[in-house]
Formats: sequence, structure tokens, C-alpha cells
Amino acid sequence: MLLPKFDFHEPLTLPEACQMMSEFGRKARPLAGGTDLMINMKKKIVSPEHLISLSRIDELKAAQCSGNMLKIGSCVTVAELTESELVRKNCSALCTGAKALGSPLIRNLATIGGNIASARPAADLPPSLMAYNAKVVLKKSSGERLVLLDDFFKGPGLTELQADELLTEIQIETPPPYSGCGYINMGIRKAQDCNIVNVASFISLDAPDGLIKTARIIMGCVGPKHLRACSAETFLIGKKASEELFAQAGEAAMKDCSPIDDFRGSAEYKRAMVGVLTKRTLAMAYEEVRSEN
Amino acid sequence: MSQYDVINSRATRIDSQDKATGRAVFIDDMKMPGMLYGAILQSPLAHAEILSIDTSAAKKLPGVKAAVTSQEAGLIKYGVSPARYDETIFCYDKVRHVGDNIAAVAATDLETAMAALSLIKVEYREMPAVFTVEEAMSDGAPILHEEYPRNICAEVHQEFGDVETAFKECDLIKTTSFVNKRQDAAFIEPQGCIADYDLSGTLTLYSSTQVPHYVQRTLAMVLKLPVGKVRVVKPYVGAGFGIKAAANHIELAACLLSMKTGRPVKMNFDREQVFLHGRARHQFFHTMTTGVKKDGTLMALKHECYLNGGAYSSFGIATVYYAGSLLGGPYRLPNMKYDGYRIYTNLPACGAQRGHGGVAARACWEQQLDMIAEELGMDPIDLRLKNMMVAGDVTCNDLNMSSLGMKECIEAVKEGSDWKNKKGRLPKGKGIGMACGFFVSGAGYPIYRSDTYHGTAVIKLTEDGGTALVYTASAEIGQGSDTAFAMIAAEALGIPLECVRLESGDTDFGVDLGAYSSRQTLMTGHAVKEAAESVKLQVLEVLSRELKIPVYDMDIKKGVIVFKKEKPDFSGLRTRYIKEHRGWTDNPAPEEDLSFREASRIAYLAKGSIVGTGKYKPPELGGKFKGATVGTSPAYGCSAQVVELSVDMETGQIAIEKMTDAHDCGRAINRTSVEGQMEGSVSMGIGEALYEEVKFDDKGRVINADLAEYKIPTALDMPHVETIIVESNEPNGPFGAKEVGEGAIMPTIPAILNAVYDAVGLRIFELPLTSERVWTAMKIRAKG
Ligand SMILES: Cc1cc2nc3c(=O)[nH]c(=O)nc-3n(C[C@H](O)[C@H](O)[C@H](O)COP(=O)(O)OP(=O)(O)OC[C@H]3O[C@@H](n4cnc5c(N)ncnc54)[C@H](O)[C@@H]3O)c2cc1C
Repeated sequence: MLLPKFDFHEPLTLPEACQMMSEFGRKARPLAGGTDLMINMKKKIVSPEHLISLSRIDELKAAQCSGNMLKIGSCVTVAELTESELVRKNCSALCTGAKALGSPLIRNLATIGGNIASARPAADLPPSLMAYNAKVVLKKSSGERLVLLDDFFKGPGLTELQADELLTEIQIETPPPYSGCGYINMGIRKAQDCNIVNVASFISLDAPDGLIKTARIIMGCVGPKHLRACSAETFLIGKKASEELFAQAGEAAMKDCSPIDDFRGSAEYKRAMVGVLTKRTLAMAYEEVRSEN
Repeated sequence: MSQYDVINSRATRIDSQDKATGRAVFIDDMKMPGMLYGAILQSPLAHAEILSIDTSAAKKLPGVKAAVTSQEAGLIKYGVSPARYDETIFCYDKVRHVGDNIAAVAATDLETAMAALSLIKVEYREMPAVFTVEEAMSDGAPILHEEYPRNICAEVHQEFGDVETAFKECDLIKTTSFVNKRQDAAFIEPQGCIADYDLSGTLTLYSSTQVPHYVQRTLAMVLKLPVGKVRVVKPYVGAGFGIKAAANHIELAACLLSMKTGRPVKMNFDREQVFLHGRARHQFFHTMTTGVKKDGTLMALKHECYLNGGAYSSFGIATVYYAGSLLGGPYRLPNMKYDGYRIYTNLPACGAQRGHGGVAARACWEQQLDMIAEELGMDPIDLRLKNMMVAGDVTCNDLNMSSLGMKECIEAVKEGSDWKNKKGRLPKGKGIGMACGFFVSGAGYPIYRSDTYHGTAVIKLTEDGGTALVYTASAEIGQGSDTAFAMIAAEALGIPLECVRLESGDTDFGVDLGAYSSRQTLMTGHAVKEAAESVKLQVLEVLSRELKIPVYDMDIKKGVIVFKKEKPDFSGLRTRYIKEHRGWTDNPAPEEDLSFREASRIAYLAKGSIVGTGKYKPPELGGKFKGATVGTSPAYGCSAQVVELSVDMETGQIAIEKMTDAHDCGRAINRTSVEGQMEGSVSMGIGEALYEEVKFDDKGRVINADLAEYKIPTALDMPHVETIIVESNEPNGPFGAKEVGEGAIMPTIPAILNAVYDAVGLRIFELPLTSERVWTAMKIRAKG
């Protein structure tokens, strides 16, 4: 398969990149790791006339914690996420998701921004990011806005991003005390797989051994975008964590999802797996709460 | 300590450095002056009449040098087996599957060639298509090839002994059915080639192939050239697994385009085209009925099998025979009846893949044997030990087990896996299972009826005597055959491996049927050994004359002449040698033994180039019945495996945790390569057992034609494999060697099936065992 022809731009600063984005608009695509974009271009799914590489813009490559806010530049690679002490300490489930993504070769190239911006319902990073209630910074020459990741995804491949906008940063408030998060992705084989179902669950308790105060459960592959298991979340609030409770939350989550039959699996199976993975990720989250006490 | 100096060791492969550093040349690395790029137009429809093809616009595109269709290519039919030549380079009357070949172009670059393809106008009249065996055989179904009513490409009906009478004496009769899925071998290098028709009228094809010889013959036949004007050269190849064991359309099209343009033409399949070309493992539908005595004695097997063959025959006739004949062993089975049918459908053709024809059959039967053992209250290992053949046994279909370490294999895996403490004692969700298998060490007969040698080899000594040059037309495709033959040559000649240089994969080097049916180590190995022995004898004969010592009182070992009796005075020879090497700093000192290098320099001075040739052809093998040739071999390898796995009771996911694998390969030429084949087989077996399936939509289009969606095991999916090499001494093999390439896959799938049963108490009769399939089976059982 051959790549279609395009012009290649390599801005060194963010303003320069934004300038190009506003100049070329829909004719341009930002290029991060290229692990998604190159394939879509070879398959002629997209044929942008201009590629604007983000790989030389240093400010997009940093991850740092300031105050209670973890800020991850959009061009931080997935391999870097797996190795970052900051990420592991504050967002272990994101680290789990990063480790599950692709292979070492892919992880070395793939970026967190590309994983979000490509908006694949099966992607490995959005579930935990949404579970941590992450926000994304969308920037263009004329200004920037902060969007909750929950509101960012619009459908498969569709996002809040406008033609001249770049996703520059992911912001995560460091989780409150007595909280934990778990992520599980399930595919056919152990790696290099498109997920059949993936789920991330976050809970925080009101006291070390207290009741569940917040719950966020995100389900992948079972809808046009990552879905919240709203009734399962509501069900958990104010209750005491237990295996039994998590199993019931899993049952509720099964009703919150809308999977379809496709060649990767039947809707029935995916729905059942949402139940299992919800239960298990909640248990992981609870395990993390307890291990921190 | 091994009695050998070179073989039976873990010698480093002669190609490993080149491959590790990227120096090894594959087709994709090759470029020639003036080279054009070819591309092939393939059908988007599964079954359609071709009303017209118009290449005029394509030809007019600047940069396009030729566009060819059946008009230019002609209608000479070819295929694998002469009994079913059913393909032409390009379709002319109709297309029979999505991806069927219609036209090809050559242009100055690939972009232009691709653009030219899109300018070729083809008018079709779409026809109803058949995709399943049932559809294809139903009344009134569209027919793919007029000569084959009901779309039956081939059928086999064999009976050895008397099955019905035997069943009457049985205490237990068991029937099961089983189905696998169409495979893709997922070799890492897609097919590719460069054709170069030169000004003298010689056609050279560089190709990623397993069989330079068969490709040479097909090119000569279809393009109407003398065999002597066609040369096929195989650079390094990124595996084949059977799929590259016949000429393909781009090889033929590239040659045709080169002949038309007078320029070299390169063509490649992309990954999707690998799937559209197909030729990998068929989908098999087996139904088997086995009868046994109370004590476990196997009495009879009745077996029926349907193969979804796809649009052309490819290897299919052999496949449908193998599916039956390879159940003749490794157990004593006095009565066997087989009815096999290979059916044409509007899908890419299936062909041969590792374990040709026997893998699904073996899976079906070995699972059934486990069920029988359970009903008889026997340990499955005991049932197998009770029935297993030993060296010297002949199967009911006349396959001769000239060596067979089956018992040793079974005992090795039983011991190695700690079977007796695990079988039936593992917690729920964990399971252990075993199975056995055997396979040919090279097909007893060539694909075309012929008295040809199956392999020839030439060894020439360099004039200084230091190096032996080995030339063989055999095919190194990643399995390590070059290293094996260099080792065999070194061993037989009595010199260190570093003193051998080997060239292979070129039809100019001789005849070799190539890398398929696990034949090369045994067959090419014989030819290389014979050539080496001839060279050795020629050197010793000259020495014998010079030193007045009978040849049989001398030998060559580790590069040194061994005098079995009294050491003669060879100082005269040494002086002659040294005189010819004035200024050399490494001349032998007086007290040193007479070296092979000195001796062969003396031989060269006496005789000119020292050249030895070798050849091999199996003796006449097998019975006299129809199809008796398929399954014959000069030797059979065999194996046993024990797998340990766990099943996630909530998701159905299977994790293979450990594999204990014993294989009888006769004498191991290179132990590391043997283990490599064993582990590779396990990997391929796990893939077919758990994940792999080529999937189609309702128009016959492949929907997972890439390695993202066609799932082969990754490194993380591989369990620890404990490999145990069992070495019988095969009387028909060079240094006692026989196969490991394909037989090693036989037990993997049924061992997994049996372990899943041990873990969750469910028998599953359909592959692959995806988590969903296992989960569904558990759910159906829970509902009762
Ligand atoms: C073999 C293989 C395996 C894979 N396995 C997985 C897996 O297991 N899990 C998984 O989730 N994904 C997987 N992927 C998909 C892909 O690798 C990831 O989604 C990756 O994170 C994409 O990041 P990238 O930097 O390569 O994005 P790119 O390909 O560079 O970009 C993807 C899209 O996002 C846009 N984009 C990129 N950055 C920005 C930005 N800063 N602002 C605005 N738009 C932007 C691009 O224009 C493009 O449309 C796999 C891909 C391959 C090839």
C-alpha cells in the first residue's frame, strides 16, 4: 500500500503549528506518532494535503505535576506513560492502559494525544482518563478552551476538535484520598489486539473504610464512543464496597451499554463481558484504595 | 559425547549474522537497472462472467510499458497436480473468486502501475456464488468448473480391512464431528519476485518461493520456453509454510511482462493479496467413528471428510488424500475406511499448510480417543501406549514406520510434565491434556509423475583445498536447511563447518523439489552427503596413490587426514604443498598432522577440480491402491505433547501455561534448529486452536485480510515450551535424520482440546477456541 502525496510541515513551536492549522484548516492533519494516521492514509480513508508534524514541539512532550494537577503534553508517548513515576503514582490505571496498548514498537511512537484524537471506541487510554475525570486543552491561534473528556468524544472518529484546533494537553486532578481505579482490556490474544471490551472503574470513599462517594465507570467497544455506566455508578453511591456489590454494579453496567454484533464478537458476549470487567475493575479500584491505607 | 564432530550440535546458523544485521537480501531489497514495477488487477466479484476487458486507457498512461490479459498470456492451464491443472495466468471466461486475476501492467514506478490498473475497464455479468460446502453441493448450485459436477473437485474412497465387520467385535463405538477454520499461514514476507528476460532469451526469476524447481517447470510450460532457458533463483525468504510451494500469478505475470518489455519487472503481493491468493489450510468437516475393545484395543475407524477448497485445486487433491491417509498411524489400526470430498467454492483456493491435510483430522481423532479413554476408564496416555506402533510396523494403508520413537516421546512428555500428579488433580479451571501425531519425512513421490531425482547436490573443493563449496537447489526459507546441509557436508567430508560455503535455491545448481512435505533434511541431506563422500573419496584416492596406502586405511576427520595404521612419511607431499605457498605464513610445521587442505591441494594438482555429485530418490514406496502414493515417505517423524492451561470461568479466555513437547526427528542435525521447529509448530498450533480464522462477508470478500485482525499468537501468548528431542536412528535418513518441520504441529490442537476438557469438562468440536466460543459452551451447559 502506498501513501498518497502530501506536503510535510515541521513547526518548531506551538504558535507556528497553530498558525499552520488555521491556514490549511480541513486540508491539514496534525501528525503525532502516525501509528493511526499513516494506516488510514495508506488505506485512503483520509488523504490530507498537508501533514503538520508535532514531533519537534518540545512543549507538547512534557508530563508534570503542579499543585494537584497532573498535566500531560499531547505528544508524550505511550512508552513514556508506562515508565512515568508521576503517572504510575497518581493514575495507575492509565499506566495499565498504556502497557496494554499495541507492542513495544507501537508504544515508542504512539502518543496520548493521538490515542484520544483518533476517537476509536476501542482505544486503550480514554477509559481510564475518563474515569479520572480528565480534561483536554484544545488550542488554536485565537485562543484555547478546556473540555471535559466526557464531552470531547462525539462518535467513532468524531470529536469536539475543530479543523484548526490542536489538542495540546491532558489535565488530571490528582485523585482524592481513599480513591482507586482499575482498568482491564480484553481482546482475542494477549497483545497487539483490538479490544473486544475494555472497562475502567474509579471509586473514592468518604473515609478509609467508608462508603462510596464517587464512582465513574467507562466502557469501551460497546457503543459509538466510550460510554459511562450511569446506572451502575448511581447504584454504587453511598454503599459499602464488597464483592457482592461490585457484581451487582456489573449487572447494572450490562444494561448501560449498547454493543453490536460484529466479526469480533456478538453483542451478547460483549454485554456479558462488560458485567465481568466492571466487577473486576471495581475490585481492582477497591484494592488500590485499601493498599493506600 | 556425540560420536559426531559437526552434526548433532548447536552450531550457529550460517545465515544468522546476515539476518540479524540486515545484510541478508530478500526480494524487497533487490533492484535492477531499468527495472519496472508490475501490478495485478484482481476481481472484486466472487463469481462473474467477463464480458469485456479494455486496457487501452491504461496503456496510454505515461510511464506504462505494458498491459497484459489472457489475450497476451494465452490459455495454457497449470496448477499443482497435473491431474487438475485448472488455472490460467489470467481469467478469460469468468472470475471465480474475489481476487481472481484479470490483467497486469508494468510501469516505471509503482504509483503509475497502480494508477494504470484503475484505468482498466472490465465489464462483468455477476453470477450467483457458492461459499460453503452445502451451497456448492446443493441441487442447481452454480458450477465453478464445468468438468466437475456438484463442484466436487476430487473425491477419495478407500477401505483397508473391513470396518463394518470389525465394529461388530467392538465394545465401544464412538462418533464425533469436528470443524476447523480456513487458515492463513501469516508468513512475514508476502510473495514477491523480479523477472528478468535477458537479451539472450534466458528468463531469470528471482522469487520468494519454497520450490524453485516447480516454479521453473511451470514457467517453462506456461510461457513455452525450454527448461534450460528458465532459471529460478530464491533469495532469502521470510517463510512459506506450504503456501509458496507452487508457482503463483505474479511470478507468471512478471515473467510475461518482462518478456513483453525486455526489462526486469518486479511484482509484490500486499498483505491483502496474500489472503486473496490463499493456498493455506482448508476448512475441513470431519466425522469419525472409532470402535475399540474393552481393553482399549483400537479396532476400526470410519471417517468422512468434506473440504471447502475454494475456486481452484492447488494442492487440494493431495490434501484430501492426506486427510485420510495420515490417520493410518501412529497407532495400530487394522481397519480404516475413508470417504473424502474436496469441494470447489467461490473463495480463494486453499492448499497445503504445515501438517498438510492431517492437522484437523488429527485434532478430531485425538480428542475422540480421549473421550474413548474416559469411557473405558483408562488414562489417555495408557490408551495411546497400548495401541502405539513401533519401528518396523506397517500401517493398514502401507506406510512403513522404519523408525518410530513414539513410546519414547510419550514417556518423555509424561515424565516431563509430571502427568501422574496433575491429570485429574488440577483445580477447576485448570487443565492438562495430551495428544500424539506423526508425519512424513518427505513425500514419497514428486507432484508430477516422474522418475526424477528428488534432490541433487554438487560439492567442489577450492583449488587451495581449504574450502568445500556446496551447491544445492534446495530452498532455505527460514527453517535452517542451509545450515543443516553445510553441517552434513562438513561431517561427511570430515572438515570443520567453517570450511564449508554453501549456495542454494538456484535451479542452475541442480534439481531439488524444494521445501515442502518436510523433505529436505532427509532427501537433500542424502544428496549432499553422497556428494561429500564422493569428494572425500577422490581426495583419499589421490593420497592412496601418492602414499601407497589403501583408501580404507585412511579417513578425514576435523580437517586432518587420519591414518588408521602406521603413520606414513608424507614429508614429500608437504614439501610440494609448501613450495606452492612461498611467502605464506601459515604453512604447516613438520610435526603437524597432514591436513585436509594439503591433501586436497595435492588432489587438485593430480586431477584438476575436485567435484563430487550426489543425488537422492526414494525407493518405490506404498501399496497398489488408488492414491496409495499420498502419505508414503521414506521415514516418519512422530511427536507427543502435553499442554497445561487455564480457562477463565467468567470470560472463557484460555491461557496456555506450559507445553511439554517431545519429537522424534531421527538424528538431530542441528539441535537448536530442531527446537526452533518444535516451538514454531507449537506457536502455529496455538494460533489455529485459539484465534485464527479467515473471515468473509456475504459477497466472498475477506474481512480480516491483515495481521491486525487475523490473529496469530504474539510472543506474549506463547507459553514456556519444554522441548525434548527424541532421537531414533532412521535407517533411511542421512546420519539417521528425519523430519521435524511439520509433524511437530500435529499434537498441539488436540492436546489443547483435551486440556480444555480437563479444565472445564466441556468438549468443543469447532475451532478456534475463542473466549466467546468457550464462554458460550459454558453458558449452554449451565442452562442444562
Ligand atoms: C499495530 C498497531 C497496534 C495498535 N494497538 C493499539 C492498542 O492496543 N490500543 C489502542 O488504543 N490503540 C492501538 N493502536 C492505535 C494507535 O497506535 C493509537 O491510537 C495511538 O495512540 C495513536 O497515536 P499516534 O500518536 O500514533 O496518532 P497519529 O496516528 O499521529 O494521529 C491519530 C489521529 O489523531 C490526530 N492527532 C494526533 N495528535 C493530535 C493532536 N495533538 N491534536 C489534534 N489531533 C491530533 C491525527 O491527525 C490523526 O487523525 C494500534 C496501532 C497499530 C498500528
